[in-house]
Amino acid sequence: MGDNWGFVLAAYALAAIVLTGYWRHLVRRERELNAPVAGHPPGAPPRQQ
Amino acid sequence: MIFARRAWSVVWKDLLVERRSKETLNALAFFSLLLLFVFQFALGPDRERLAAALPGLLWLGFVLAGLLGLGRTFVLERENDCWEGLILAPGDKSAIYVGKLAANVTLMLVVEGLILLLFAVFFNVDLAPALTGLALVMILGTVGLAAVGTLFAAMTAQVRARELLFPVLLLPVQVPVLLGTVKATEAVLLGEPLGAVGHWLGLLAAADVIYIVTGLLTFDFLLES
Amino acid sequence: MTRVLGWLAALALLAGLGMAFAVAPREATQGTVQRIMYVHVPSVWVAYCAFVVVFVASIAYLATRAEAADRLAHASAEVGVLFTGLTIATGSIWGKPTWGTWWTWDARLTSVAVLFVMYVGYLLLRGMIDEGERAARYAAVLGVVAALNIPLVHFSVLWWRTLHQPPSLMKPGPSSMPPVIVRALLVNFAAFALLYLYFVAKRVRLLRLEGEAGA
Repeated sequence: MGDNWGFVLAAYALAAIVLTGYWRHLVRRERELNAPVAGHPPGAPPRQQ
Repeated sequence: MIFARRAWSVVWKDLLVERRSKETLNALAFFSLLLLFVFQFALGPDRERLAAALPGLLWLGFVLAGLLGLGRTFVLERENDCWEGLILAPGDKSAIYVGKLAANVTLMLVVEGLILLLFAVFFNVDLAPALTGLALVMILGTVGLAAVGTLFAAMTAQVRARELLFPVLLLPVQVPVLLGTVKATEAVLLGEPLGAVGHWLGLLAAADVIYIVTGLLTFDFLLES
Repeated sequence: MTRVLGWLAALALLAGLGMAFAVAPREATQGTVQRIMYVHVPSVWVAYCAFVVVFVASIAYLATRAEAADRLAHASAEVGVLFTGLTIATGSIWGKPTWGTWWTWDARLTSVAVLFVMYVGYLLLRGMIDEGERAARYAAVLGVVAALNIPLVHFSVLWWRTLHQPPSLMKPGPSSMPPVIVRALLVNFAAFALLYLYFVAKRVRLLRLEGEAGA
């Protein structure tokens, strides 16, 4: 029986993409909310907690 | 005793309004007739195919009619600005839940009886020998459907896009009831004894009890503020 | 604190990968494809745990009206849906080479799919209500109903699939698993559980920030 590495790789890659995608979504959202209010240029470094 | 009287007054009010206006009932009766047309068009005249699909179609009809009917549970209160009246009703709100549930079950059983009759006439199926078993399955299934439906109708009554949200919430939760009723109906229509589907009837009964108890315990929280 | 949890989760995931690819042997009947199990099974376990957390937090909210409980329920439901989706996707990828099809209405696949739509509905309901307090109350009721429904879904789907037509297809996973595989599974489960905790902690903090920004 063939080893079907492609499927294994696809499953792990998908898991990696989904999980890091969600993680990045959380991080980005948190940075937005933590960013100092109006007037600050976008892309400013996040305020350190 | 007071609880029963309060619940009864909700049932009496809802059924009286429905009897006078026949708003929901008329529309649902017509809707069931249309459903029959659609099923016929979808399946074609082949009688054997129809017989195989009958239990599923029957419950599809019940559920679609139920979605429309149950979604209107609190429509009177909302449109006539009586929602505050429900909220302000003194004491235990679960009596309102019981009343609404009983009214819904009654209305749905009437509509389901009608759909059954239409199926028997238009599709020429002999339902008479299976009628007692069928009635049992229908009651068990309808109570489960209405128990969650009444709760969710209260939940979505004051929410945006409620016509959309109500079926979206209700259908997945109803999967056990749907599977149980369709399987049990299938067996009953094949002339099998009820004992052969005892496990399904048990599951339906368990679902009914769980849903009603949850509804009683949580309905209060939906009618707050 | 959250950061430490994140690093722990990352390390555990690396260890899990090591267990899945280096330590666990190539399974005899299915070959390498079976290694998908080490993402598939832990993520469904974590998803079930997440929905239990939603259940408990919902009851806690209804009893105490603590906003923290509501935030926990919300975060846990979202992360649970994420892991349920991952379970379905990896299961589908696993199914293609073993069963020859992306999807069968297998009992376990079906009940996970029902779970998925149920909790997507939960998140939809939350999204549709603007006032926070009412959203929390309604969602808590739904969280309780959905969780109580899980055993009903499980049994009905199981009977639906198995009573009339016994499963002729190969079941995923060997019937009795050798201890190496069990160990690899447990390491991966621990890693996914840490990741779940990290995500929930982050999401809860985010919800608090969102609440403060909205207020």
